Amino acid sequence: MSEDKIHPVDSRNQEEPAPRERVSRRDFIKGIGGFGLFAVLGGNLARGLLLPDDVIAFPASEGYLLVDSKKCQGCNTCMMACSLAHHGVQNLSLSRIQVNQDPFAAWPNDKSIEQCRQCPGAPCVAVCPTGANHIDAANGNVRRVDANKCIGCQRCVAACPLGQSRADWNFEEKHAQKCDLCAETPHWTSKGGENGDQACKAVCPVGAISFTKEIPLQDDRGYNVNLRDASWAQLSYPTK
Amino acid sequence: MNGYQGRILHLDLTKRTFSVIDTDKYVQWGGGHGIGSALYWDLVKDKTLADGLDPRNVVTIMTSPLSGTMVPSASGRVEVQGVGIQQYPVNWYTRSNFGGRFGGQLKYAGWDGIAIEGKSDKPVWIEIYNDIVVFRDAKGLWGKDTQDAQKAIWEEQATRKPGEHGWTEMSNSRDGGRTTQRSAIITIGQAGENLSAFGCLIHDAGNGAGQGGFGAVFGGKNLKAISVLGTGSVEIADPAALFDARLKDKNEYAYTPGEDRPPYAFGGHGISPQAALWWAKSPEGGSGPQSCQGCINGCRARWEAGLANEASCQETACYAGFDVKKHGQGTEATHIAVDLMNRLGINTFEVWGCLAYLEALNEKGVLGRGKQVDTTLNMEELGETSFIKTFLDMVAYRKDIGEDLAKGTVRASVKWGRYKEDIGDGSLPFPYWGMPEHAYDPRLEIEWGYGSILGSRDINEHCFNWLMWDALIAMGAGKEPAASAEEWAKIVTDKMEPYAGDMQMMNYGTDNMYSESWAKTVAWHRHYGQFWKESALFCDWRYPDFVNYHRPDKVGESGKAEPIYWKAVTGNEMSFADGVELGRKIWNLDNAIWTLQGRHRDDVKLARYIYEHDAKAWELGTFFPLPVEKDGKWEYANVCGRKIDEVKWEEWKTLFYNLEGWDNKSGWPTRETLSKMGLDAVADELEKAGKLGGAA
Repeated sequence: MSEDKIHPVDSRNQEEPAPRERVSRRDFIKGIGGFGLFAVLGGNLARGLLLPDDVIAFPASEGYLLVDSKKCQGCNTCMMACSLAHHGVQNLSLSRIQVNQDPFAAWPNDKSIEQCRQCPGAPCVAVCPTGANHIDAANGNVRRVDANKCIGCQRCVAACPLGQSRADWNFEEKHAQKCDLCAETPHWTSKGGENGDQACKAVCPVGAISFTKEIPLQDDRGYNVNLRDASWAQLSYPTK
Repeated sequence: MNGYQGRILHLDLTKRTFSVIDTDKYVQWGGGHGIGSALYWDLVKDKTLADGLDPRNVVTIMTSPLSGTMVPSASGRVEVQGVGIQQYPVNWYTRSNFGGRFGGQLKYAGWDGIAIEGKSDKPVWIEIYNDIVVFRDAKGLWGKDTQDAQKAIWEEQATRKPGEHGWTEMSNSRDGGRTTQRSAIITIGQAGENLSAFGCLIHDAGNGAGQGGFGAVFGGKNLKAISVLGTGSVEIADPAALFDARLKDKNEYAYTPGEDRPPYAFGGHGISPQAALWWAKSPEGGSGPQSCQGCINGCRARWEAGLANEASCQETACYAGFDVKKHGQGTEATHIAVDLMNRLGINTFEVWGCLAYLEALNEKGVLGRGKQVDTTLNMEELGETSFIKTFLDMVAYRKDIGEDLAKGTVRASVKWGRYKEDIGDGSLPFPYWGMPEHAYDPRLEIEWGYGSILGSRDINEHCFNWLMWDALIAMGAGKEPAASAEEWAKIVTDKMEPYAGDMQMMNYGTDNMYSESWAKTVAWHRHYGQFWKESALFCDWRYPDFVNYHRPDKVGESGKAEPIYWKAVTGNEMSFADGVELGRKIWNLDNAIWTLQGRHRDDVKLARYIYEHDAKAWELGTFFPLPVEKDGKWEYANVCGRKIDEVKWEEWKTLFYNLEGWDNKSGWPTRETLSKMGLDAVADELEKAGKLGGAA
């Protein structure tokens, strides 16, 4: 399984972004106490607020997908739902959530679920030269790609700090894409977004995907959580 | 083309070339089995072919338009067809099926299926990356078990296509498609390589196409494996409708963890993702659920112990009984056994029946060194890990008794000169076409035996059988079944279009088992199965959803749901009854193939012991509850203790042939029946062969 490169928040572990933007995350987090609702828009406005001159920070997303890989049944329905809701077709490669499996590995190392973490630091947004990958304030600050502005440089794909990039190249429509918490799902009748439903979570037969508005702990433990309760134990599966 | 990809991959192993067959011509057959049979009909000129190892044998691996889509429990299965090598006395044109993710990947690669003919002059494996198809030398894979072979292929593919940022590029262009997934591979193990009738096809850890001996059929073609990886899309006619239907299914018909679990409900749609395990003891440590692509609730698990991943149901039972008998409790022997059978690519059903037979031969005193059945196997160790390792090694490599068993257990019995006695007294529990009992004795569960002998193999379709389990488990616990016998019979028969309304179709009473109502049940079951299960590929574990305990009225979604899914994906307004009728057409085509292979009604007989001895017990004891109606009153009655009356059954067969529109003297399809279904060309070929039913 690919190893996630996520580390506890620390500016020394950040990849150097494009020359005109530098992000110093430690001071920012210290400054706002980690709640992330601070409406910092970067640039000149940021200089007028609590932050050092060279800090550009992003408002935190108001929604995060959490998964439980020990509960996952590896059916890939979440992947099919994602591609169907967004693109109207079934295509695992166009899914913004990916499930990897090794059929011969011992549980729980046989599966991993690679969902976008809506990173507070949003490196995929930071590197985008056109603003295609942007903070969508109208949709709870979800990190989202405007396909019309994408020039296909794929810096976002490279910038994802996780082993398997959550920013993905849509080779059929020729633009980058990523999880938008179902803010825009033209082929699904349910309302998505941070106050709505998410296709992957809605279809998961076992309830291995959940949604939270709180920023998770910024490592694997924050995003791969325990969603198994007593009803799961009734099925003779472990709850630890 | 919604649901379909429009292309079928036609592999010629002799020339090591491939061509493309246009799916358009075959869409009328639906998918899966229907398309497979139609392809076989077109590609095989000499349909007397009855040797699975003949290079002219065409093996089809076919998806449906629903494969790789979100239709619940209809996304993951794939139908395999061709002439097998397991059945006796004739290797019928037959079928098998496996789950997992192969079907989805084949669709994403842009293919509806694969047709394989010929024989390579040296071992090959086929690699499919979207529309790039390559014949690769299998020298380094031949001799590897199914797990090692798949791992070797993945390793080699990772070297050739290392990927970046966790994604594998399919071509040199960034727009050629990319994926995070590993290729889906179907492969044979040593049993198939060595042409044993026990040889099966294995995909990932535990998906298997067992019946028919297709492992040996692949081995006979020098075909080790087929690997497929796709990055394309399956077009969906109405995505929103598919979404809504899936969610309705999840929220209203299926079990979701956290809600009240229906008590004493065994199989079927509403059941939980608890793994279906028959062993007495699970592997040490934890486990998590695992399912085929798109399943509404899975039926197997992966294990912390790293053994028996993805094993489910019968394969977990295969050695469990012997293990418990030997040790007084379940041990690791069962887990090692199933793991080894999957690795070696060995059909666990054939092993199950074979071991029961060898045990009986041992009790008769005819098995052992220098005896009538000469073997070094020590039957005193039956149940131990050492025994099963030795036995499976013999089977996979055709050593010792494995050589005699290489043509199947029944042919081995013939070779030993034991067949007449053992099939007569039931010590050889192989009731139909040389295939082992499924545990549901034909004398007890009527549609099982009847349907199997009228077809080509153990039907393995539990449509009515789940409800027996619900009654068995409830009554075994001293409780009332969740549905009364009358409720069950009413709900089920109401869904059996076009015969709906005749509740006698579900009366398993002995005085009803040779009735025209039972002719309708068996006919409906075959027709429904041939299309909705084997062609549209709705999984047997979850469909039909007849009786559903989540529903206040207990009425399941079958009959209504399947057409909704079919239309959402394909845009086609096929009704449930239309599908059953298409199944009847497919069933007729199969019977035409069997007829050309030499079938006659006089051959269509169950094993002698079925007619001569009462079934006093079955696998789990002396209680087998089924709905029975007597004097207007319905109840679950124990049907143990009866046999099939051969004379009455032959009369019933006549009723069945009449209902199907087949010549009741020969069992052959008639021109009138075939013509009404647009199969005049089939009638012509039968007539040319002197095998047309009803012809002067």
